[in-house]
Amino acid sequence: MLKLEINQRSWDVPDFQASEMLVWVLRDTLGLAGTRYGCGVGVCGSCNVLIDGVPKRSCQTPTADAVGKKITTLEGLAKGEGDKLELHPVQAAFLENPLQCCWCMSGHIMNAVALLENNPNPNSEQIDNAMNENYCRCGGYNSIRQNVTRAAEIAGGRS
Amino acid sequence: MKAKKAPLTPEQRWKMTRRRFLIGTGSLGVLAVGGYFGLNEGRPAMVDAIEKSGASRGGKMPAPNLWFELKLDNSMVFYAPKFEMGQGIHSALAQIAAEELEVDWKQLEVRQADSSKGFDPNIMFTGGSTSVQDLFTPLREAAATMREMLKLEAAKQLSVGVVDIVALRGECFARQNVSKKLTYGQIVAAKQTEWDVPKEKPNLKARKAFTSIGLNAPRVDVRAKLLGQPVYGYDARVPDMLYGAVARAPRYGATLKSASAGEAANQPGVKQIVIDLKANFAGVVADTRTRAREALKFLNLEWDGGTSMGQSEIEALVTARDGEGVVIKKRGNVDAGIQTGTQVSAEYRTPFAAHAHLEPLNAMAHVQASKIELWVPTQSTSSDMKGVQAVVGGEKREIVVYPMQMGGSFGRKGAQSAALEAVRLSNAVGKPVHVGWTREEDIQHGFFRPPSHTWLRGSLGNDGRINALDQVTASGDILFSVIPIPEPIKNLIGFDFGVLSGLFSPYEIANYRVRSHRVKLPIPTGTWRGLGIFPNTFALESFMDEMAFAAKTDPLEFRLKHVPATEDGARLKRVLEDVKTRSDWATLPESGRARGVAFSSLGKTLVAQVAEVSIFEKRIVVHRVTVSIDAGLVVNPANAALQAKGSVVMGLSSTLLEKLTVKDGMVEQANFKQYPLLTLKETPPRIDVNFLEGGDTPYGMGEPAIGPIGAAVANAVFALTQKRIRELPLEL
Repeated sequence: MLKLEINQRSWDVPDFQASEMLVWVLRDTLGLAGTRYGCGVGVCGSCNVLIDGVPKRSCQTPTADAVGKKITTLEGLAKGEGDKLELHPVQAAFLENPLQCCWCMSGHIMNAVALLENNPNPNSEQIDNAMNENYCRCGGYNSIRQNVTRAAEIAGGRS
Repeated sequence: MKAKKAPLTPEQRWKMTRRRFLIGTGSLGVLAVGGYFGLNEGRPAMVDAIEKSGASRGGKMPAPNLWFELKLDNSMVFYAPKFEMGQGIHSALAQIAAEELEVDWKQLEVRQADSSKGFDPNIMFTGGSTSVQDLFTPLREAAATMREMLKLEAAKQLSVGVVDIVALRGECFARQNVSKKLTYGQIVAAKQTEWDVPKEKPNLKARKAFTSIGLNAPRVDVRAKLLGQPVYGYDARVPDMLYGAVARAPRYGATLKSASAGEAANQPGVKQIVIDLKANFAGVVADTRTRAREALKFLNLEWDGGTSMGQSEIEALVTARDGEGVVIKKRGNVDAGIQTGTQVSAEYRTPFAAHAHLEPLNAMAHVQASKIELWVPTQSTSSDMKGVQAVVGGEKREIVVYPMQMGGSFGRKGAQSAALEAVRLSNAVGKPVHVGWTREEDIQHGFFRPPSHTWLRGSLGNDGRINALDQVTASGDILFSVIPIPEPIKNLIGFDFGVLSGLFSPYEIANYRVRSHRVKLPIPTGTWRGLGIFPNTFALESFMDEMAFAAKTDPLEFRLKHVPATEDGARLKRVLEDVKTRSDWATLPESGRARGVAFSSLGKTLVAQVAEVSIFEKRIVVHRVTVSIDAGLVVNPANAALQAKGSVVMGLSSTLLEKLTVKDGMVEQANFKQYPLLTLKETPPRIDVNFLEGGDTPYGMGEPAIGPIGAAVANAVFALTQKRIRELPLEL
C-alpha cells in the first residue's frame, strides 16, 4: 500500500496506482471529489491541489510523487464539522460572491490559499499573476479577482 | 422529448418557448403547408408565425404535490424540475415559489426532481434561456394553489372565515386576532386525510407586493460545491461501481469494420470488453478509469469510411452568395431599393467552436433486472433515456434519470450524453459503470457551433438612412441535427430554425430581404449557447457599423436613427441610450483606445454593449464592456448579472481566440493547448451590467448577452485602426 498524507490524515492507496495521476486517485479511489478534472494536460488548473503548500496540477502528478508529502485538497480547508464547521476565508469569500457552475472553483481556491499564505495582502497585479493560470469557462474572472481581495480582508479580521 | 398530445385547456398550456415550439412546427406545420410549390412564398410567413406565435408546447402542469413536500416541522422541500449548470436556476425558482407560498425562500430546501417525479419531459428540459420565463406563471400558480389550500384548512381549524386568514412567512393567522395562528406544518399535522385541490385558479400576487422575487437571494447550490461534495455528474458514486472507456472513430462518420478484444482483455484491472459492431461500439470496463483508458489502446479495431473533408472544403461549402438560399424574410422591394443611393457590401465568417464546459461529458448507469438508473449531468432527461431500452433489450424496464449538477454545458449536455455508453457497459458487466470522457474526447467527439458565412449588401439614401438591406446567411445545422424529422423534409423547409436566433436586423429598413442557406456538413454541429445569435450578430452589427461609416454618422447615433416607431423600437431605443450614457460614449476615451457598439436580441430580451479596446503588442486588449439589458422582470439581479458577465467573457473568448479547424475528417484541436480559452488577464476588469426592468414578465437571461460582443469589439478595433476585420476570431 502507498501511504498518502491528505488533509492531515493518512490514506492507503493500492500499490498499482502509483503511476496513476493523483487527480483520479483522489476523486475515484478516495472519494475526494472536490478536486476536479478539466483537461488532463495541465492547462485549465481545475485539478490544483497543494503539495507541501504549493499549488500543483494533480492531473500531471503521478501518485507516487506525492508520497511523503503534505497534500491539501478543497475538503481540507474548512475547520470543524457539522454546525461548527468554519469555512476557510477563501471559501467564505467564494460563498459570498460565487462563480457560476463552480467546477473550476476548487483550483482557484487552492491558488488563492497558497497566495495568501505567502502574501496576506496582495495587490491587484499580484492577484492577477497568481490567479491567471486557471480557466473559468463561465467567465467569473472578475469575481475571482474580487474574492481574493475579500478573502484577505476576512483573514485579516476586516469583515 | 415529445409531449403526449392529450387535449389541454388553455390554462394547462404552457407558454411557448422558442425551441419547443419550433420542434412542433418542424414536425407538423411544414407538412400542413402541403406542397413544394408555394413554399418559397410561404416561408417568410412561416418564420413570422414562429417568431410571433404564443402557441402551446403541450406540456402538462403537474399537480402541486409533485412540486412541494410540506413537513410537520414546517420545513418544505421544493422539487425543481430544471437543471442547475451554474445559472442559478434552483435559486430563482425557489424565490418564485416562496413568493406565492408566503414563506421565506430560506425555508425551502431545493432538491433536484428526478425523472420519476411525474414532470412532463418538456419541463425536464433546461435550455434556450427558457426556464424562468416558462415556469414563472405555472410555478406561481402551483405555489399559490398550495397556499390557498392551507388557508382554507387553517380557516376550518381556527374557526374563522377564510377571508380573515392571512398567510405570511409559513404561518396562517386570523386577521382580527393575530395570536390565533398555525404554522403550515401544524395545519398539515391536524389534517392527515385527503386534501381537495380547488377548481379555480388562485389569485397571484401583484408585482408591487413581491418580497422574494427581485431579491438577490444567495445561490442554494454553492455551499456543497465549496465543500467538495459530490454533486456533479463526474462525481457520481455508488458502491461496487466500475469505470468504462469507449473507443472513438478517427474520422466523423467512420464505422467499425471489425473489432476484437486483442490484448485488451489481458490488461490489468480489466473486467469486461464490450463490442457491438452494429452499434459501432467498442469499450472496456475496468476497476479504475486509468486502467480502462489504458486497456482501450490494446483493442484491435478497424474503422471504415467516414468523411475526409478538410477546412478549405468546408469553408467553400459554407459560403453565402447573392441569390443563394431560401427567402425567409421579405419587406418592400430589395432588388429595386438596392439600386438607389450608395452601395455597401461585405462578407463575414465565423468558425467551428467548442462548448469547452470544464466538466467533460460523463454518465453513470446501473442496469438492473427491474430498472435502469442513470446519473447524468443533463439538460434533457428524455434525451438521456432515448435508446436505452433498445440497448438492454428484453422486457420493458423502468428508467430513472437522476440529473446531476453540470460543470458547465452551454448547449452540449442537452442533445448528447454518455448515458447510452454507460448503459451498454453496465448491461454487459452487471454492475454500475461510470463513463467519464477525457478533454480530448470532449472536444473532438462532440458537436460544434457550426461555421457561418454572411453576405450583406446595403444601400444608403440621400437622407443618410439605410434604404435597402439584402442578406444571405450560410450556416451548418443547429437544431436540425437534433430534430427527428426526415432529411427530405428538412431540405423542403430549407432553413434551420436555430439559425433564426439573432438573424434579423431590428432596425427600420424599408426594403429588407433575408435568405438562409442551409449547409449539411459531415461534421457534427448543433446547439451552442444562444444558437445563431453570436455568429449572426457579429455579421449584422459589424455591417451596421460599415453602413454608419459610409453615412459618415456616429455608429450609435446611426442605430438610434433606425429605431422603428413601435413598442419594441421604444425598448430598443432605451437600451441604446442607456449604454450610450453609461459607457461615456459622448466623451473620448483615453488616448490609444476606442469604443464600439453592438446590439442583439433573443426572444424578448434586448442587449446593447459597448466595448472599449486598445492594441498592445499587436494584440487586441479589451478594457471595459458596458452592458445594458432589458430582460423584462428580473427575478434575481445578482445571478442575472453573472449570466450577462459570463456571456460577455465566453463571447470574448470566441471573438479573440477560439477556432476549430478540420483536417482529414477530424477536428485538429484536441485540448486547451491547441484550443486556448480566454484567461483572467485577458478579461476586462470592468464589465458593467445594468438591467432596464420593464413589465411583469421575465424574459430569458442565459444566452442573449453573448450576442453583441463580437461585433462590439470588431467595431471598436475599426474605430481605433480604421481596419475592418470580418472574420472571427479577430486577427490584426
